[in-house]
Amino acid sequence: MMYWVSVITEAGIFAILALGLDLVWGWCGDFDLAFYGYLALGSYMTMVLAIGKPTPPTRYIIGLALPYPLAVIIADVVVVALAAIIGAIALRNLREIYFAVTTLGAVSALYLIVEVYTPLFNGYNGLFGLINPGQALLNLTYDGYRQVFMLIVFAALFLVYLLVQRLSRSPFGRMLRAVREDERAAAAYGRGIFFAKYRAYLFGAALAGLAGGLFSAYISAFNPSAWAPQELLVIYAAILVGGRGNPRGVIVGVFVVYIGFVELTRFLPSPASRPEFGPGDAAGPHRAADHPDAQVPASGHLPRACGGWSGPAEGLAA
Amino acid sequence: MSGHLLEIERLSKSFGGVAAVRDCTFSVGEGQVVGLIGPNGAGKSTVVDLVSGFGRPDSGRITFAGHQLVGKRPDIIARLGLIRTFQTPREWRQLTVLQNVLVAECVFAHESLWRTVTGARRIRREEGKERIRAMEILERYQLSALRDTRAGNLSGGQKRLLEFARIAAADPKLVFLDEPMGGVNPVLGARIGDAIRHFADEGHTVIVVEHNLPFIEKTCDEVIVMDAGQVIAQGPFAGLRDDPRVVDAYLGMDLSHE
Repeated sequence: MMYWVSVITEAGIFAILALGLDLVWGWCGDFDLAFYGYLALGSYMTMVLAIGKPTPPTRYIIGLALPYPLAVIIADVVVVALAAIIGAIALRNLREIYFAVTTLGAVSALYLIVEVYTPLFNGYNGLFGLINPGQALLNLTYDGYRQVFMLIVFAALFLVYLLVQRLSRSPFGRMLRAVREDERAAAAYGRGIFFAKYRAYLFGAALAGLAGGLFSAYISAFNPSAWAPQELLVIYAAILVGGRGNPRGVIVGVFVVYIGFVELTRFLPSPASRPEFGPGDAAGPHRAADHPDAQVPASGHLPRACGGWSGPAEGLAA
Repeated sequence: MSGHLLEIERLSKSFGGVAAVRDCTFSVGEGQVVGLIGPNGAGKSTVVDLVSGFGRPDSGRITFAGHQLVGKRPDIIARLGLIRTFQTPREWRQLTVLQNVLVAECVFAHESLWRTVTGARRIRREEGKERIRAMEILERYQLSALRDTRAGNLSGGQKRLLEFARIAAADPKLVFLDEPMGGVNPVLGARIGDAIRHFADEGHTVIVVEHNLPFIEKTCDEVIVMDAGQVIAQGPFAGLRDDPRVVDAYLGMDLSHE
């Protein structure tokens, strides 16, 4: 039961991310590989704003203990600021593969900085300790909180959906599609291509940042191994399944791909010789699974970035 | 030179070592329909690109309705009231015919992201007027039955008509048509000729780049002849027919029966 609460919550968060990515790829036609970086930064920033001062040897910036919703909002502002810089460089003249490579370069550079420069977000070990923010305030049990959190995620997804649907049906959405279909013709009818794409890009990044803020509370920890462009390919697949530029389809696509392909395949028997590996172990004692109350298999999230999916055993056993 | 909507002075553009346009100078008066003709490679399409901001001249000046155009982006030039077309129709394929015309109406205030987030309903209400106008335009080009068809599914001729519907929707001061008769049958050709004359009657200025000389003769008030990147003659078509430079540029072709 709690395993499915966990899976559905994660799918809901990824649906928000996918709606943001669809703005960039589905509506504007730009294949962005930096996008997962916005989710990551949203997660990191939410944590450093909400988990309080670092205790040595852990090191990270800021270290405030703000209320979780406020931390998410500020984190999102930071994410949009980063997207404003990357977008200003990548969207101005670059298209197609050149745009994709530039965004991949940007996110890879950030990845390296986060990993190597420990004082920023505690380097490779990452951050941890955002465990059920507000649980005491809401006077809930651990399981109860996870269920309420799932509902919060779905409320957020619903609001985001309404907003995106509103954009999609508006002259703004129509103009973006015209830009995607034929940039030169759109410019010949007075559309500033860069500015049109830039606005959609920032809006998409804001959704990714929001997804990141929710993600941080969902997994309670975040480190560079949870963060890789490959993660994004699942989201791209989901958008393709649901239909580019179609908000409702994108949400359905996320649930189909994420639950149907990624989660259900865990129940397939895995070869006995397959080693369990991945830097999820490198996160050592800080993994969410090590929290005494943890119901969520950390191995379900962290090592996946490195190519290995764990079987469902831990998740079901929990 | 007053009274001219578009003035081009000593415009030059080279690609690599090849001069596509050299010291090109001409002007076009308001409300005229002007044909821009010349053999392949004469630099006609390059002039269209330079004027509309899709290319940057090496030197020269382009003045349009009192604005200096050199160095301006295509969208800024379009907003000044200069709309161009391309040699092949460039419809927005996934948009419907009606949506194509609505985008071409260029009501930029409705595309504000902030206003869309805060008051989408108000924008939809305000857009009612534009929809009515768009439907009238589609009616005029006999496209109203196809209004919900994706533009990419139209036939070649219908795409040409949609291009004219978009121009009518944009209501520009000057239209630069780059080979509007490419791949067009005679019946449709006559309608395109009518559409161009109609633009002129409504006070728009039209420049037509075209190889179809009988069409140019019928449609245009005046003709500019280019060869090897330069303007070699300008005036009414009848007077140019016997101009030796023009005849020479067209390799001695009989201009009345191309």
